[in-house]
Amino acid sequence: MDVVGLLIFGALAIGIVGAGLAVVFVDRITAAALLMAFTFLCNAGMFLLLGAETIAAFQVLIYVGAITVLILYGVMFTPQGDRPYALFFQKQTPLAGFLVAAVAAPVLALALTFRDPGIAREGGGDLQPLITSIFGDYAVPFELASVLLLAAMVGAIVLVKRDEEDAK
Amino acid sequence: MPDGPLGLDPVVWAVLRLVIAVALAIFVVLNGALVQIYLERKIQALIQDRVGPIHTGPFGLLQTIADALKLIGKEDIRARVTDKWFFLAAPLIVFSPMLASFAVLPFAPGLVGADLDIGLLYLTTLGSMTVLGIVIAGWASNNKYSLIGGLRSAGQLVSYEVPQILSLVTVVLVTGSLSMVAITESQPGLLVNLLVLPLAFVTYLIAALAETNRNPFDLPEAESELVAGFLTEYSGMRWGVFFVAEYGEVTVVSSIMTTLWLGGWHGPGVDALPVLGVLWFTLKTYAIVLAFMWIRATLPRLRIDQLMSFCWKGLIPATLANIVVTAVLLLAFPGTLLPVAVANWAMLGLFLAAIPWAQRRRLAATRRRLRVDVRRAAPETI
Repeated sequence: MDVVGLLIFGALAIGIVGAGLAVVFVDRITAAALLMAFTFLCNAGMFLLLGAETIAAFQVLIYVGAITVLILYGVMFTPQGDRPYALFFQKQTPLAGFLVAAVAAPVLALALTFRDPGIAREGGGDLQPLITSIFGDYAVPFELASVLLLAAMVGAIVLVKRDEEDAK
Repeated sequence: MPDGPLGLDPVVWAVLRLVIAVALAIFVVLNGALVQIYLERKIQALIQDRVGPIHTGPFGLLQTIADALKLIGKEDIRARVTDKWFFLAAPLIVFSPMLASFAVLPFAPGLVGADLDIGLLYLTTLGSMTVLGIVIAGWASNNKYSLIGGLRSAGQLVSYEVPQILSLVTVVLVTGSLSMVAITESQPGLLVNLLVLPLAFVTYLIAALAETNRNPFDLPEAESELVAGFLTEYSGMRWGVFFVAEYGEVTVVSSIMTTLWLGGWHGPGVDALPVLGVLWFTLKTYAIVLAFMWIRATLPRLRIDQLMSFCWKGLIPATLANIVVTAVLLLAFPGTLLPVAVANWAMLGLFLAAIPWAQRRRLAATRRRLRVDVRRAAPETI
């Protein structure tokens, strides 16, 4: 990795970690949602740096374009001011710290022992391998996941519909 | 390294083509907005039997320039109850993805900012980021009209993104590439994709109208219901940035349609003089922009529930069926596009016939139900 690549990597890493911390510590929920979108964008930058531009594009398309909008939508429809903020930011620091440590320690160990397996390619071009693996090698798991998501969506629609009829 | 046209050194051309592409992007966005506003006024005037702007300059040509100067000269007002950073950031979040879209548009052979393998995916990605800025603008304004405008826009954009992307998939199935340059090069002659995939073109056109908040889908800024929607609290050049972004977005979707369905830069004389491609590209793009304006001057605005049900019950099934039929025919008859074209034209006819039929049935059902409801509510009055 050349100097420019290292600089971009540093900026993106600071962006991910800084914005991620801010998401947790900022007590304005819309700001947290936007900062999360920024974290997603930095993640997409990381994918670009690894030569995986298709994954980066999907990261932005789905997470910035759809998930963040959905979260903002939820925030705007939630009535505010009728409940204390303590409900949003509960005082369970020791338990949270323990859980975070339990997850973070293996990840950290993995990160420190990680060696570049040579996946990153100059100039990118991950479209072809991605397509062959999704629609060739892993077609059945991919289709299973699609059917599962479809079932979840239909289930959600049915649940909402029933509520509507009960209200009448 | 591409061979330099006009006998230029390839190294010089590599730098020069980037400069030309960026300059073209800024030129097209800023001047394009001025030209489009002028065209919009003149064409609406023509259709509505008026004269439009005539007093400022010859044929009123300087009217939009005067308006732009007025906008820039206005005081930058921000209400105290607005959310400062979000309010200031929203126009930029809308504007910058639109400007970045121009990086992959192929204006002429060799004249493209970056020929990405995933050019089309990149464009849809940037298109999906606009909605974030609009939602934030609606939220930060701290105004009910703005908020409703922003929420409507979010619902509309997220819904219409689905048929938009599905229409693109059909073209990608036929051309076999996501690169804008490769898609342009796949339709060199008169057999452009419009003749092969008319249904995908129509569904994309409808979804693009919704994505750019144009009539008949301009509900987020419906002035008769919402003052100006998410734009209510904005004035001066901040409002102007939203407007430039909107017209830029129209240019981008028209350019996508030009590239995917109308053959992009291809036209008489391009092989001899590649720069001529810019002319053909611009002419085709503005033909579509004019169609947008024609639609705006002709059609009334939809209601929000009609908008949503049309998307989910009309457009998305049509585009999904289109994908399945196209894919099956491409696999069944490799090497020829004739079956695909015949099926697509047939499905286009079916689509255009089925929508009014379904609407009439729905209207009749609604009327029947309302009559029953009224009788049940107050039987003695009937």
